[in-house]
Amino acid sequence: MSQRLITWIDQRFPLTAFIKHALTHYPTPRNLSYWWNFGFLAGFLLLLQIISGVFLAMHYKPDVDLAFDSVQHIMREVNYGWLIRYLHSTGASAFFAVIFIHMARTLYYGSYRAPRELMWWSGQVLLILLMASAFMGYLLPWGQMSFWGAQVITSLFGATPLIGDEIVLWLRGDFVVGDATLNRFFALHYLVPFFIVGMVLIHLMALHHVKSSNPSGINLADKDNIPFHPYFTAKDLFGLGVFLIIFCGFVFFAPEFFIEAANNTPANPLRTPPHIVPEWYFLPFYAILRAIPDALGGVVAMTLSILIFAAMPFLDRSRIPGGARFRPLYRVVFYIFVVDVAVLAYVGSQPPGGVIFQIDVAATVIYFAVFLTLPFYSRWEERWLRARGLPPALQALLDSDTELRPRRETRQ
Amino acid sequence: MKLRALICVLLCAASTAWAENALKDVDLDSSPAALRRGAVTVTSRCLSCHSVKYLHYRDLLKLDFSREEVMSMGNLESALLALTPAEVSEQAYGRVPPDLSLLAKAREGGPRYIYTLLTGFYQDQTGEINNHLYPGIRMPDILGWSGADSTQRAALAIQANEAAAFLMWAADPRADERKSLGYYTIAYLALLTGLLYLVKRKVWARLK
Amino acid sequence: MAAMGVVEDQAMAESDEVDEERRDFLLTATGTVGVVGVAAACWPFISSMNPTLDVQAQAATDVDLSGMAAGATRTVAWRGKPVFVVHRTPEQIAAMAQSEGGRDPAPDQTRVRDARWLVVVGICTHLGCVPNKTESGWLCPCHGSVYDNSGRILHGPAPRNLEVPPYHFAAPDKIVIG
Repeated sequence: MSQRLITWIDQRFPLTAFIKHALTHYPTPRNLSYWWNFGFLAGFLLLLQIISGVFLAMHYKPDVDLAFDSVQHIMREVNYGWLIRYLHSTGASAFFAVIFIHMARTLYYGSYRAPRELMWWSGQVLLILLMASAFMGYLLPWGQMSFWGAQVITSLFGATPLIGDEIVLWLRGDFVVGDATLNRFFALHYLVPFFIVGMVLIHLMALHHVKSSNPSGINLADKDNIPFHPYFTAKDLFGLGVFLIIFCGFVFFAPEFFIEAANNTPANPLRTPPHIVPEWYFLPFYAILRAIPDALGGVVAMTLSILIFAAMPFLDRSRIPGGARFRPLYRVVFYIFVVDVAVLAYVGSQPPGGVIFQIDVAATVIYFAVFLTLPFYSRWEERWLRARGLPPALQALLDSDTELRPRRETRQ
Repeated sequence: MKLRALICVLLCAASTAWAENALKDVDLDSSPAALRRGAVTVTSRCLSCHSVKYLHYRDLLKLDFSREEVMSMGNLESALLALTPAEVSEQAYGRVPPDLSLLAKAREGGPRYIYTLLTGFYQDQTGEINNHLYPGIRMPDILGWSGADSTQRAALAIQANEAAAFLMWAADPRADERKSLGYYTIAYLALLTGLLYLVKRKVWARLK
Repeated sequence: MAAMGVVEDQAMAESDEVDEERRDFLLTATGTVGVVGVAAACWPFISSMNPTLDVQAQAATDVDLSGMAAGATRTVAWRGKPVFVVHRTPEQIAAMAQSEGGRDPAPDQTRVRDARWLVVVGICTHLGCVPNKTESGWLCPCHGSVYDNSGRILHGPAPRNLEVPPYHFAAPDKIVIG
């Protein structure tokens, strides 16, 4: 590319300045581990979902009489239609897996803390948009699981006091999930990704302003920052390669792993399948819904279980940096939480009743207790760590951190 | 490690609830010849009441039937529709017999379900024909399993096996294409990832 | 920022010539493999926009010619396209045999299998309108292209004669298009 062309563009658009800001001169902590790869992977999956989704939309028909047939048409008659559909359906599950790991990393290393609260909250909005998009997309194949999943989830809004029934009717545009519902879900499933892209841009702008957190949890001196390109482009692309091998393993060799068997039967509004479960990524939240025997209470608990992540910057009162790395108690609680979510996921996949219900209640209580007791044990943990004397590695890090030192000295 | 364990648990949870215990173990014979024999069984027996509507007769050409053989079964362009009109079947059996195109994917256990169902017929004390897998089934014992002796049953079991294999193929006719493309894709990705690893190591070596 | 520059400079100084060459080769090889992969990954998406298998398989259209009097014209659909089937009169046959057509000359016998029956795709070769039948052939309503009774362009903007689809006589009074 000729220098003249670049100069011509630069006088009219900050191309070089942008590349410098975002890539070649974007300072990135050199100690980032592979856990920091997942944001990039999420971006890749967003792109993959949009592209494969657009091509599926060229063949899909959002009509109760045609939807199921059109998916089979895609699978059997469209050139590489099976590949595009399996990329999209597997991509949805991969997207959630990647996002959950991305969130877990943030929780483990305390990356949600100042000054990254807005990144955490924009990520929270992204999670909700992703869930909405996934939920509406799941209706489109118009199988039995699609239909009854949508029927159950839209019914949840019926728990709203006073106007519940009206809201459900309005959401569906019909007395049951029907043609109107399918059409609007298709329209919205196509729309929501625009919002996701917009929110991702905000997420990235905030990132480029506050820069990446890192495993030590404190701002590194300049000498420990390296430019994003070529170091992290190389690292992220390698991570993408590993991810794609696993992803393509599912797409080509176990594409139906994430598709419920019952969804290969066309939707039948007169007959519920014997055992309906949501997609795996909704299972923990679904379990929390079922743990509360009251309809409204269940819905509130489920909503809170998602929204409560946003409160993390307020709930975590510890000033010890590095998240779980330098905080033994927080680390234990983090692992308890991860196991608890896994238990909830398992419970959510099981038919309700008996022991399952008791485990469900216990796991739900633990889930919320982890968040609600955080202000207390995080403060206690800080006092305990300081009384015991900070580990030398952490002390050295703290001494080298320009932002933390004055504050610490005034306290002492 | 813990996170990987979480994902594993989540994935396993999604695939639970397999009510497969009642299903017979069967080694599905998916050789081309077996699929062709299965196709003949299904088109000659099952199609009297069931449809396989997402399959067209032209699709059978992919199983290496000759054009004449397929044209003797039906018009290349038509779907494999049931010979008995749906209303008549509904009157006779109480419900429209389900379409078989996706049956091998729609039932837990897949083709094993089909095999177990076909070989699960028996005559109960009252002389009525019933089914172990699906008590109270309205479908007749199409292979004549319940009245067959053990030597006949050996032949019938093969027939049921081939029919189940064919229906698995019908549910996923692109499986072979998918897998062969998958090997190339994974091989390519392994090469690319290996190269990317070398690039990453080389680039990062500059920092040390 | 300044410190990052220093790191870069140091790195540059440390790596010797041979190393640089190897790195360049590695980068070129990886870049090439990557670009090939991305290009290959585009193909399924591009291919998915081509006609689907069921559309491609819409092979043949049967036309029953019995009951069509001399001079009669029928329009049948073949792969969604209109196809004109004309039972030409002896006078028309004679007139066409003497003419070579206009802009795109072709003898009449190369355009028919049986001189009595003319089978052409009824889509104007100009911009795709369907021409209307006239006494002497066809007139395209869009831009006035005029075709004769052999489907050959006489004048108007159309560049080529009306296309003759693949067809054969399955019986004396039955043709199969496709």
